[in-house]
Amino acid sequence: MSNSTLAQPISPKSTSLWKVVQLFRQNIQTYTLIIALLLIWVVFTIATQGGYASPQNISNLFRQMSITSLMAAGMVLIIVTGGIDLSVGRLAGFVSVVVAFFQLNRWNTFLPATFPNMPAEVQPAVAALLSVILGLIVGTGWGVVQGYIVAYLRVTAFIVTLGSYFILQGLVLLQTEGKTIAANQPVFSQIGQGYLPAQLGWLFTAVIIGAMIFLMLRGRRNKQKYGFPLPSLVWDVAKMAFFAALILIYVAVVNSYATAPGIPYPVLLLAIVAGVMTYVSTNTRFGRYAYAIGGNREAARLSGINIRKQIFLIFVLMGFLCGVAGIVLASYVGYGTIAAGAGYELDVIAAAILGGTSTLGGVGTITGAMVGGLIMASLSTGLQMLNAPAASTYVIRGTILVLAVIADMYFKRNK
Amino acid sequence: MNDDIILDFQHVTKTFPGVTALNDVSFQVRRGEIHGMCGENGAGKSTLVKILSGVYPRGTYEGKVIYNGKELKLESSAIHQAAEEGIAIVYQELTLVPAMTVGENIFLGREPTERGSITWDKLYAETQGILTKYRLDVQPHDVIKDLGVGKMQMTELAKALSEDAKLLILDEPTSALADAEIDELMEILRGLKEHGVTCIYISHKIEEFFRITDTVTVLRDGKMVTTQPTKDVTSEKLVSFMVGREMKERFPSGNRHPGEVILEVKDLHAERAEREVLKGVSFDLRQGEILGIAGLMGSGRTELVMTIFGEFAKITSGTIKLGGQELKITNSHSAMEHGISLVPEDRKRHGLVLIQSVLKNISLPNLDRFAGFLRIDQNLEVVESLRIAKELAIKAPSLHVPVESLSGGNQQKVVISKWLLSAPKVLIMDDPTRGVDVGAKYEIYKLMNELAEQGIAIIMISSELEEVLGMSDRVTVMCQGRSNGTLNIAEATQERIMALATGLA
Repeated sequence: MSNSTLAQPISPKSTSLWKVVQLFRQNIQTYTLIIALLLIWVVFTIATQGGYASPQNISNLFRQMSITSLMAAGMVLIIVTGGIDLSVGRLAGFVSVVVAFFQLNRWNTFLPATFPNMPAEVQPAVAALLSVILGLIVGTGWGVVQGYIVAYLRVTAFIVTLGSYFILQGLVLLQTEGKTIAANQPVFSQIGQGYLPAQLGWLFTAVIIGAMIFLMLRGRRNKQKYGFPLPSLVWDVAKMAFFAALILIYVAVVNSYATAPGIPYPVLLLAIVAGVMTYVSTNTRFGRYAYAIGGNREAARLSGINIRKQIFLIFVLMGFLCGVAGIVLASYVGYGTIAAGAGYELDVIAAAILGGTSTLGGVGTITGAMVGGLIMASLSTGLQMLNAPAASTYVIRGTILVLAVIADMYFKRNK
Repeated sequence: MNDDIILDFQHVTKTFPGVTALNDVSFQVRRGEIHGMCGENGAGKSTLVKILSGVYPRGTYEGKVIYNGKELKLESSAIHQAAEEGIAIVYQELTLVPAMTVGENIFLGREPTERGSITWDKLYAETQGILTKYRLDVQPHDVIKDLGVGKMQMTELAKALSEDAKLLILDEPTSALADAEIDELMEILRGLKEHGVTCIYISHKIEEFFRITDTVTVLRDGKMVTTQPTKDVTSEKLVSFMVGREMKERFPSGNRHPGEVILEVKDLHAERAEREVLKGVSFDLRQGEILGIAGLMGSGRTELVMTIFGEFAKITSGTIKLGGQELKITNSHSAMEHGISLVPEDRKRHGLVLIQSVLKNISLPNLDRFAGFLRIDQNLEVVESLRIAKELAIKAPSLHVPVESLSGGNQQKVVISKWLLSAPKVLIMDDPTRGVDVGAKYEIYKLMNELAEQGIAIIMISSELEEVLGMSDRVTVMCQGRSNGTLNIAEATQERIMALATGLA
């Protein structure tokens, strides 16, 4: 093999069918997942005589996955570095009850007392803003403590977060005093329950697609600047058109949901978080280092990477995302309850694993985890629509998880 | 059928999709001999071993393997079947459980039991029996993780022998051993011969064949080159059989002109976990020079360079000066910022993220150069990595293949590239040719010469004295955590180095 072939992979993926097949083989896991997802959708649509594909269900489905998927985006990086976080569900739950408590009991007295001149109609908005800030501080703060213990005191993540799990469960009980706290105040409840007006939805879509085109063209221009062979334009455009079409279909469907048209805010939030996290994980040093640490900790350390700082930051990020999820949770449910977030950690971990994140570390993608989360949510909603008993939902989801990993191992071995 | 022949390969061919690993290989191993086997990486040695262990069972290859007068019929990859036939294999990578004792390891998976519970007395008594019989210097109750590599190797041997092995296959047994330990191993192997055990001895170290083997077989590109009595060949001959061309010199002659002193280490003391690991090391290093560091295993060679690199032990006294300035290095990152790079000893454990691509491995320590806080310039990353990969002539189908798919020599080049991209002033190479075949070794030596000619100062640690003598301008010898003297290459001999290394001089 000559050296000149080294440059090849950055050279064109031509449009010929063979190249497409090659590409498919390389990304077999991602595609297997998408095919599995489509299959699930088709089966449920037939079984529910079309009800599954209704705008109402699609709208709900994506919103349902959003809370756990927000956390799954962070979990991928945690697992990629070889760690685990068992506390995420309880942390989101704790954030949600704290936020609900302040919504119900504090802002209504704090705001008029502190700012007597504030107009009454602005108050809910300011309260909601304060709640968001508070929720993010609580989540991130918890992440700081956990990250410090894991990274600098070097206690295994499994143990630290297991301890956290129990502590947070206690704190949830303490905060709620076993009661349900209403968090259904105006403005705040919009965060989890609201919809982006249809026109704005289209505008948002246009901006996203515009950005995709811009990035594609800029990428091509940069490649040209370095004298790299360009991937074929047709292929680039086709790839982009495919994703643009997916977004367009989704927006069109949810906008046509008569009762509550528009993109649900949590879904919008998830799209932004997933986008940013994908970028961070692939295009920044922070992301690269995470994968290197998971792939070979010693090699990463000797390459000058500050492992402790990196692990610490990832836990802080995880805490922040739990904060986001907790806020959405309180708003979406409309209550802070003792059961808030219970069991979510398992859904979050399952989404990441189903999406191809390796528990051995070093491997995993945000996109994969998002599709994984969507598969899990699709199964739950579908089975619910068919009035399947809750017990069967658990059995089926568990089975799918293990089967998916077995299938993945099989494909990898036969590649 | 000749009774003297224990193993007879007859026209064995093993193909994989796209590769012929063994191509019509025929040779015989006589009973009771030590049969050396050599060849470059990828020559087919491991495929051969895998046929004998049953990893590739009969039917997956063409041709016949006659063992003890009968065709070898291993049907599955169950290692036990090979063991029952009396074939035992000691692999290059040790396969012991660190937390268990020597005895437990030897009988792992076939512990003597009585009504379902393990009879420990019997286990340890039998272990002692084996150790005594073959004169192995370990104790049955020793815990593996407390032992040195040499003793671990002996445990491996004991494990193989405990199953009544008739044919023992040693796959690069000395790659991790120091010279004294190698001597001990050789002694043991001679003892085995007295007990009638046949050995197939696979190694990259040419000298060893002449020390221990009766016959050598050379493989190249999956084909048999020759089987000859060892006494009929010379090392030059053997190397030329392996690489398929005459290789006049094992070490390319460089045109090095050492210049000013760039690195000065004075009376360095350092401790780790409250144990003093460096007890006074002094040496200096010039620009464009290759300074060899020799010493026995455990003499503190690796500890020394890792400490200079800021990653191992805490410096308690002494100074490190770079270009006249005293350095305070706290971690590998700051070492690199000062222009010091280190190619670590064990590329798989310390050098590479095996599952990642060549590109990502090369760029990992250098991302600062391509990236701000928010963005990695991935085009620049490719350009720079490609430049260095070409400079070092890394053979890979692309920059994007996982580094684990490359051969040992090319993996080593990737490790060197990643540390060279930052254009270091001082390049520390800890055993740079370990586990690398002869051809790739030569290329690495050539590369070291070129780098030194460009003015880079190189520190090379090596376990092979010949390599130290062949490549260095000067040699600093370590002994028990101290530097015990520096020799100019003109005055350095194996004997003088060994005398310094063992503390005799």
